[in-house]
Amino acid sequence: MAQPASASKRPATRGAVMVLLTVAIIGTLFVPIYARSTPKLGPLPFFYWYQLIWVPGVGLLCWICYLLLKTRPVSRHGGGGRR
Amino acid sequence: MSHVNLVAFGIVAAAFAIITLVGFASARWRPAEDPMRLNEWGLGGRGFGTFISWFLLGGDIYTAYTFIAVPALVYATGAAGFYALSYTIMVFPIVFIFGPRLWSVARARGYVSPGEFVRGRHGSQGLGLAVAATGILATMPYIALQLVGIESVLTVIGIGSTSGNVVLRDLPLIIAFTVMAGYTYLAGLRAPALIAFVKDILIYLTVIVAIIYVPSRLGGWGHIFSAASAHLNSVNPATGKPYGSIVVMPAGEWAYGTLALGSALALFVYPHATTGVFAARRRDVIRRNAALLPAYSLVLGLIALFGYMARAVPAVNAGVKADGNNPQLSVPLLFAHMFPSWFAGIGYSAIVIGALVPAAVMSIAAANLFTRTIYRELLRPYATPAQETRVARVASLFMKVGALGFALVLNKTFSINLQLLGGIWILQTFPAIVISLYTRWFHRYALIVGWASAMVYGTIQAYRTPGGGQAHFGASSTSLFGQVTYIAIAALILNLAVSVVLTPLFRKMGVQDGYDETKPSDYIVDPTTAPTRAKTAGAKTATTVPAGASAAAPADTTVATGASTVTAGATAAAPVDHAVAMNGAQPAATRTHASAGPGPGNRRH
Repeated sequence: MAQPASASKRPATRGAVMVLLTVAIIGTLFVPIYARSTPKLGPLPFFYWYQLIWVPGVGLLCWICYLLLKTRPVSRHGGGGRR
Repeated sequence: MSHVNLVAFGIVAAAFAIITLVGFASARWRPAEDPMRLNEWGLGGRGFGTFISWFLLGGDIYTAYTFIAVPALVYATGAAGFYALSYTIMVFPIVFIFGPRLWSVARARGYVSPGEFVRGRHGSQGLGLAVAATGILATMPYIALQLVGIESVLTVIGIGSTSGNVVLRDLPLIIAFTVMAGYTYLAGLRAPALIAFVKDILIYLTVIVAIIYVPSRLGGWGHIFSAASAHLNSVNPATGKPYGSIVVMPAGEWAYGTLALGSALALFVYPHATTGVFAARRRDVIRRNAALLPAYSLVLGLIALFGYMARAVPAVNAGVKADGNNPQLSVPLLFAHMFPSWFAGIGYSAIVIGALVPAAVMSIAAANLFTRTIYRELLRPYATPAQETRVARVASLFMKVGALGFALVLNKTFSINLQLLGGIWILQTFPAIVISLYTRWFHRYALIVGWASAMVYGTIQAYRTPGGGQAHFGASSTSLFGQVTYIAIAALILNLAVSVVLTPLFRKMGVQDGYDETKPSDYIVDPTTAPTRAKTAGAKTATTVPAGASAAAPADTTVATGASTVTAGATAAAPVDHAVAMNGAQPAATRTHASAGPGPGNRRH
């Protein structure tokens, strides 16, 4: 059976997902944000800890998007009705 | 490296023995009703859930070469090498956006490789062939580089490099590869999926121990960074400039960003990555993994820092110099000098197994491409599923022999150059694969011409770029509009520009466009089927496409009329039931839902 996934979501939800994912990409794509050594985290220059922190950051953003787009298992009975 | 480190070698050999057992045993893991289907051999039955996919994709994208080359780059040039972290951060939003659509259409249409999708979407054998050939061409040197990764470990252990005879010198490498070829031939994608568990446990163990233990032996991170910046700021006599920098310089920012973005986009269209995506059970598996896979990026970031640790150990610097200034040895040498032999052995095992897993997936991915886009399209249009599977198995062997030839006969620099080219080439399939997921606006011939011009431009540009003491293929970036830009991105811009200009032109000239066999609903389909069943027939029923209506009919018809028809159609039509989905391999559970006898084109619900 076919479940409309993202397509069934409201435009607002899909818009929010696109914004979050764009933020996730821009975060490390735009290098001037983080190409500097201060403020340091202990001995680590900003350049390094900024990117290392983005790793769980991007995971979190993707997880939020996953929750937003998740299709509820509504079609337990007579699934396939929605087309 | 004159003496052999027996303890470390013993551990590596033992780890190899274990994964060999696991590899052969995997043929019986999640058994298929009919293993002689490409869907089974090449995609593990499309049944991997979040957990297994996490290991498979992680084991597949983060290759041993990455674990050797990234710290080597950091060791040699500093911050510039960190682009790999930025790239493995960006790749997940990209997977999140495009992955589910690609997965759905592949599932709905029974595609096992991106080449087929492009062929079906644009009704163009030529474009499908272009994508398949690019994929195979880009994958071969990538496999060869996995061997280079293993070689660097063997060199540090003290094996090999003593004899002038190619076969004798690289005997351990040849044995390792032959055994891997054996279980991949037998078990297909199930083998690397299961071995990935072993690989990842070893990698995580090594990295966690190293990141805690090594800095304490080296006088802390402060000392490591000061040693690294002392080296990077010193002047390289060959160029008259500093070796690198601890933070990316303003002049290098554009190159860093485009390299990261280009690599991330390219990774998504590399055949081994799409194979991992296609093998997922549901759309949500891909989305969840986009959120969970960054755990590996964290590991990659920490491994990149190994490059600085290695710089802080004088014995490592001496060892790198002794091998003709080969920074690829920096991480294996770091292990050798910082760890007791037995733990160094565990680290080496992680690298060796970490090379075999992606090499296996890559050879399977290339074999899938060959079988569906070249063999079935050009050589034998009505091949049965069993014939396809046999061809794919043999093709995977050819890929490995070819890669072995690359690694052993040609010199290492050549493999690395080819890998650089591979990244540029594969990105040129991005418009045909990814943009086509959303629009059919592009004319098929415009895409072919765009692809071809970008391939030529990228190759010439890479050839003309000097650097690192080489006259050609010296660097991956070139000057474009006054900015140093990753060549692949420059070529992609050309690719898109040509396609955009030619599409309306071809339309106006009345050049015939191809027939699109996909439907809008194919791109969002999410069947909760028992995945080890025949997906083609199931998905066909689900999307209510009469079999035979499309160009992909030959295989579908065979499936639909085959022995497993009942389960195939019935599971696809079954109500959404997570219990069924979770136990996809259990025929009893799925048959409960088999309400009526399906057939080709039999509409359910």
